[in-house]
Amino acid sequence: MRMTTAGVFTLTLAFSSIPELVAAPPKPSQAVEPGIAFFEAKIRPVLVEQCYSCHSEQSKRGPKGGLRVDTREALLLGGDSGPAVVPKKVTASWLIKALHGDEVSEMPPNGKLPSAVIADFEKWVAMGAPDPRIADKPVARASGIDIAAGQTFWAYQPPRAHPAPVVTQADWPRSDVDRFILHALEAKQLQPSPDADRSTLIRRLTFDLHGLLPTPAEVAAFVADSATDDVALAKVVDRLLASPRFGERWGRHWLDVARYADSNGKDENLTFHEAYLYRDWVIQQFNVDTPYDRFVREQIAGDLLPARDDKQRDAQLTATGFLVIGPKVLADRDLEKRRADVIDEQIDTIGRAFLGQTLGCVRCHDHKFDPIPQSDYYALAGILGSTRTLDRYKLGNPIVAGWMLRPLGGEAGEKQLAVFREYEQQLKELTSQIKSAKAELTRVETATTMRQPGALVGFTVDNTQAKLIGNWKPSTYSSPFVGEGYVHDDKTDKGKKSATFTPKLPRDGEYEVLISFTAGSGRAHNVPVTIQHVNGEKQLILDQTRKPKIDGLFAPIGTFSFAAGTSGSATITTQGTTGYVIVDAVRFVPKGELANVPEAAMGVSEELQKKLAQAAKRVKALEAKQTQLKKSAPKPPQMVMASRDEDVIADAKIHVRGNPHQLGNTVPRGFLQVATADPMPTIPAGQSGRVQLAEWLGSRSNPLTAKVYVNRVWYHLFGEGLVRTVDEFTRQGERPTHPALLDTLAVEFMNHQWSTKQLIRKLVLSRVYRLATRSDATQRSADPENRLLSHAHRRRMEAEVIRDGILQIAGNINFQGGGPVVAHMPERAITNNSDGGVSTEKVTTRSVYLPIIRNELAPILEVFDFADPTTSTGQRDETTVPTQALFLMNNPFIIQQAQVAAHRLLAASSQDAERITLLYQLAYSRQPTSDELTTARGFLAEYQERLASVGSDKAPKNRVAAAWAALCQAVFGSTEFRFIE
Amino acid sequence: MFPQFSRRQLLQSASTGFGYMAFAGLAAEQAHAATNHPLAPKTGHHPARAKRVIFLFMHGGPSQVDTFDYKPALAKYDGGDLPGELAKGTSGGTGRKLMKSPWKFQQHGECGHWMSSLFPHVAKHVDDLCFLSGLHTDGQSHGQAVLQLHTGAQLLTRPSVGSWLVYGLGSENKNLPGFVTICPTRGHGGVLNYGNAFLPAVYQGTSVGSAGTPASSATIKNIVNTDVPPDVQRKQLDFLQSLNATHRKHIGDDHRIDGVMESFELAFRMQSAVPDVCDLAGESTETLKMYGIGEKPTDDFGRQCLMARRFAEAGVRYIQVSHSFKWDQHGNLKQHEKNALEVDQPIAALLEDLKARGLLEDTLVLWGGEFGRTPVAQGKDGRDHNPVGFTMWMAGGGVKSGLTYGETDEFGYFAVKEKMHMHDLHATILWLMGIDHERLTYRYAGRDFRLTDVFGRVATEIFA
Repeated sequence: MRMTTAGVFTLTLAFSSIPELVAAPPKPSQAVEPGIAFFEAKIRPVLVEQCYSCHSEQSKRGPKGGLRVDTREALLLGGDSGPAVVPKKVTASWLIKALHGDEVSEMPPNGKLPSAVIADFEKWVAMGAPDPRIADKPVARASGIDIAAGQTFWAYQPPRAHPAPVVTQADWPRSDVDRFILHALEAKQLQPSPDADRSTLIRRLTFDLHGLLPTPAEVAAFVADSATDDVALAKVVDRLLASPRFGERWGRHWLDVARYADSNGKDENLTFHEAYLYRDWVIQQFNVDTPYDRFVREQIAGDLLPARDDKQRDAQLTATGFLVIGPKVLADRDLEKRRADVIDEQIDTIGRAFLGQTLGCVRCHDHKFDPIPQSDYYALAGILGSTRTLDRYKLGNPIVAGWMLRPLGGEAGEKQLAVFREYEQQLKELTSQIKSAKAELTRVETATTMRQPGALVGFTVDNTQAKLIGNWKPSTYSSPFVGEGYVHDDKTDKGKKSATFTPKLPRDGEYEVLISFTAGSGRAHNVPVTIQHVNGEKQLILDQTRKPKIDGLFAPIGTFSFAAGTSGSATITTQGTTGYVIVDAVRFVPKGELANVPEAAMGVSEELQKKLAQAAKRVKALEAKQTQLKKSAPKPPQMVMASRDEDVIADAKIHVRGNPHQLGNTVPRGFLQVATADPMPTIPAGQSGRVQLAEWLGSRSNPLTAKVYVNRVWYHLFGEGLVRTVDEFTRQGERPTHPALLDTLAVEFMNHQWSTKQLIRKLVLSRVYRLATRSDATQRSADPENRLLSHAHRRRMEAEVIRDGILQIAGNINFQGGGPVVAHMPERAITNNSDGGVSTEKVTTRSVYLPIIRNELAPILEVFDFADPTTSTGQRDETTVPTQALFLMNNPFIIQQAQVAAHRLLAASSQDAERITLLYQLAYSRQPTSDELTTARGFLAEYQERLASVGSDKAPKNRVAAAWAALCQAVFGSTEFRFIE
Repeated sequence: MFPQFSRRQLLQSASTGFGYMAFAGLAAEQAHAATNHPLAPKTGHHPARAKRVIFLFMHGGPSQVDTFDYKPALAKYDGGDLPGELAKGTSGGTGRKLMKSPWKFQQHGECGHWMSSLFPHVAKHVDDLCFLSGLHTDGQSHGQAVLQLHTGAQLLTRPSVGSWLVYGLGSENKNLPGFVTICPTRGHGGVLNYGNAFLPAVYQGTSVGSAGTPASSATIKNIVNTDVPPDVQRKQLDFLQSLNATHRKHIGDDHRIDGVMESFELAFRMQSAVPDVCDLAGESTETLKMYGIGEKPTDDFGRQCLMARRFAEAGVRYIQVSHSFKWDQHGNLKQHEKNALEVDQPIAALLEDLKARGLLEDTLVLWGGEFGRTPVAQGKDGRDHNPVGFTMWMAGGGVKSGLTYGETDEFGYFAVKEKMHMHDLHATILWLMGIDHERLTYRYAGRDFRLTDVFGRVATEIFA
């Protein structure tokens, strides 16, 4: 929906001048001041010729981009992009930028003006933009949208109660609802279908109110009830409304709309460990029948509304999770954009969920179809921008934003949080101390691996003192080494490189020669070494693939006589080698002295060893302190995803074409003008405005809120809304099929304290709710889409009802639910190469309590068109794809539950007929016919036969149980189970 | 050419198009060819240069300056400061110090394109490739850029490229999905990267395995019944269909019941068709060897590439192969060597194999990541994300071979010439497949949506 884009760019088409508009400029006279004269000579003609056709009062389709340039005032006021001219400030004047053709806008659109003309404009702005064109009436920010005209659209009309129409078949209706429906049918000479039978009705009711199958006992009791339909039905309805299962069903409808999830999705799919509190809160509100207006207000501003006690405060805080659970791009490095995107997601969701409006596209431009100017969006953006949604950071990475969490438990909770944060701070400091202590230890340790030539016994010549011929590459990659590093030949110029080590010896004598290098498989095994000694020259071969004997670093290559002074030497060359040749140092140790030195201490000074011990001790001490601190760690309070007002409250500036880096005019915080009948409430300075937004949304005078909600309820009970596009009360959406009924229901709903349960009770006790799905040819040809409700819509079970139903048939459903469901998951729910261990196939709680991981839904939910939790969904898709069939045929969960169900049937009776009957009662809420009994028994026998013919390794041992499981699985897959009459 | 179905109509026709058919002797071909079936093959707006796409996704962001975009200046000024500005959003640890490529470059083929030593096998096919060296995208983070690459949008849930293509062109195989993604990554958008978003569910990508599990066990979820052999299952399915038929008879006409019944038949056929394609047992030893299957570094990606060829042969419209999140070397750039080792030989084998089978001419092979990497060093030996200039390449499918289209600046940082935004890439892919990206639209929430939103320029310069 968003168009951040050139495609909607509006300041276009200026070049073709319209002759009659080009008035001759008045000749400058002596009386005219020089600035005005300049304007008349250089500026006005250009404006008239180049700009007026799009940017003046005469512009045919209203001034483009909201900008007029035909009066001084209009230029200063500017358009979407902000003031066009700022007197004396050339660089701040948008007009000048546009003339230069900066990256966002080029004016005129079909060719840059000559640079002399642009220079004139700059000069003129620098002069203070003198301009005699004083407007005869004040210029308003032009948006081209007529709000008052827009308010005449049906959706923006406040609902009013209509008297129920008079109907011919006076004995058919049970309530006014029925009179509205029947009246429309009679107008088309249509008859309503007969009522559905009782077993169908209780299956429908239990599906609608609980999202479950009725038990065989419940069906039997209702069918056998001797009371009238009206009375018997009322009993069932009241039982269903009073059960906690009701909140689970209707809470889930709202969770679709609220795009509820237990993880973020998007770029960083982090776990929402606290989201379940919001889910449980929603379920609870439906069970206690919280008035819908309050339900709305608390989700927007619960943290700011008065509360009688901590418990209420906690509940209201939890409600504002609505604003926080949206999917967010958490790792966007463009922070302005990140903020704007979060606000956008909130506005879009608020628009759809409460108002049935599409507000996302208004981020970039005035709404194309609906009377919603871009400024309305930024009026809301000011409120949400003054609200904190992102907070702190995650994954230990400041680039990855966290979200707002607040402690439960009132002031005690706040205090507990302060203590915990203090502890976290201490722990953080300590951790950082440990990190630097460890770094120091590593540094000292590295130093000890760096053998110091001075600390080594004998006379040591390091590579830095050697005479190197050819290009030797310095390195410290392999430690230890003598001195600051070593060099190697990089396996190039073989035979052309050499290194000669010449010691300055104090006296004649026998010296042991040690060559230092670290060994490795890539090294040369045949390094030529030449020793110049008193008696001549000795050629040796050194194998650098083998670890040197002494300290892993020094290879003794023999004892030689050397004279005092510098006549002796050792030379390493690369002739004939293929691997790396390493050159580090050569030691000349007077014979016998080596034996007195402990190997480990070789080349490590005493001072360094002391430092090493100290560093190790410090690390240990800090780690002990950390252990101690962790032991006495304070318990963090229970946190909840919730909003709070920002420290800085501010109105938003329009983002020109949705670009957060191009700011236009500031818009005072406020709401949608078209849906505001009364004067726009004022938002006190220093407050975000969420309280006022909440009041505006949850108000009787809001023309949309009650209608949108009543329509959602109708949709869930009848399969189609009175407005079929339940999320779109817009020009693009459908018109209501029964406008007066929708209006009347909305008014009565508000009159009855916005009670969901009363509304549902009224609707399901109507006659129209009882209709059978059967239709006749007359009905179908007169009203093929059944818009007039001459019969009931056949409906398909949603994903969670299929799953819960299967668990019910298997006798396996666990009605304990609520509480955390992703506590076991790490900070990042899903990584690139792992699903985070979110297996749901062994869980038997109701589906509403399954973890909802964005981009990784439980397979059964994914396959059967569950609501996409990344976006507000009022109406789920209903698709038929082979992946659903594959799931029902082969998924281990289905197969396993079929086995459990088979076990239940086998245990329930020894008679096949009774078992089959029980299965039909459980799954279809009816008895099988005798034909069906015969077919099922035939299948059981044939299936066992077929199994018997299969090779032994594949065939299940218990063929009887396997056949019953196959029968149950077939029923799970059957359409009669998955459709509701 | 693309009738404006409403969402509802399409959803319905997805389940009504076939009508119910008898269990045996199914007239599936006929049903498939029926024009009102949403997966029936369709002709595009103009003659197609390619019939299918194989996208080799190098997740993480391979470095252009260490692979296909040779920049001698980088070696010359190694260690010196970048003369211009860093791109917006570059992370803190990234300095201005230019870092030369540790790999040697040399010219290859008749075209003389410079390539590093990382892709010795692909280098042999250099004359089949069309390098797109002026790519750029918007998002600095993986999540944004990966989603933009796959769906054109960073923030909002939008249909993926493969979904749009199958929506526009249908599928050539009635027993396989039109869009498969082999071992897709789970993060950075996960399923959204092959999701249908607001398009009908028939157009969603079907995953074959997933990243993190070996390709040797990759298959479509629930495609096999591990408990009973097919003929036993057929017995059960016949019974299930008889239950459905009874239900249908009882309630009167409801096309949705027909849809369900047909979907079971299609599923049953898929059960044998899919494993047949995924099973590499029938391939010759030479072929397996060519793809590096059985050899340690190449086995996994080799299997994916070979499966891709088999899906291509079977008529799947859009096939993606993922090298999941390997190429993100913020440090230790040397890791690129290991990454390249895993994919180089399999990719070369795929090109070779497609060519030998005459498939390359109408298969568009696309290689690349969500962005490239900076020519400046991050830390001591890494490179940061670079969305402002990077390289992808195409082969086959009616593109000019041996061509380099687009250029980055002298250091390989910013795209400067013949720039190609992600939207332009998408527009070009669609065009090659016979679709005008401005005319392939879908009405949702009151607006006509396109893969390229309001952007996109077709790079006709690369057409053969």
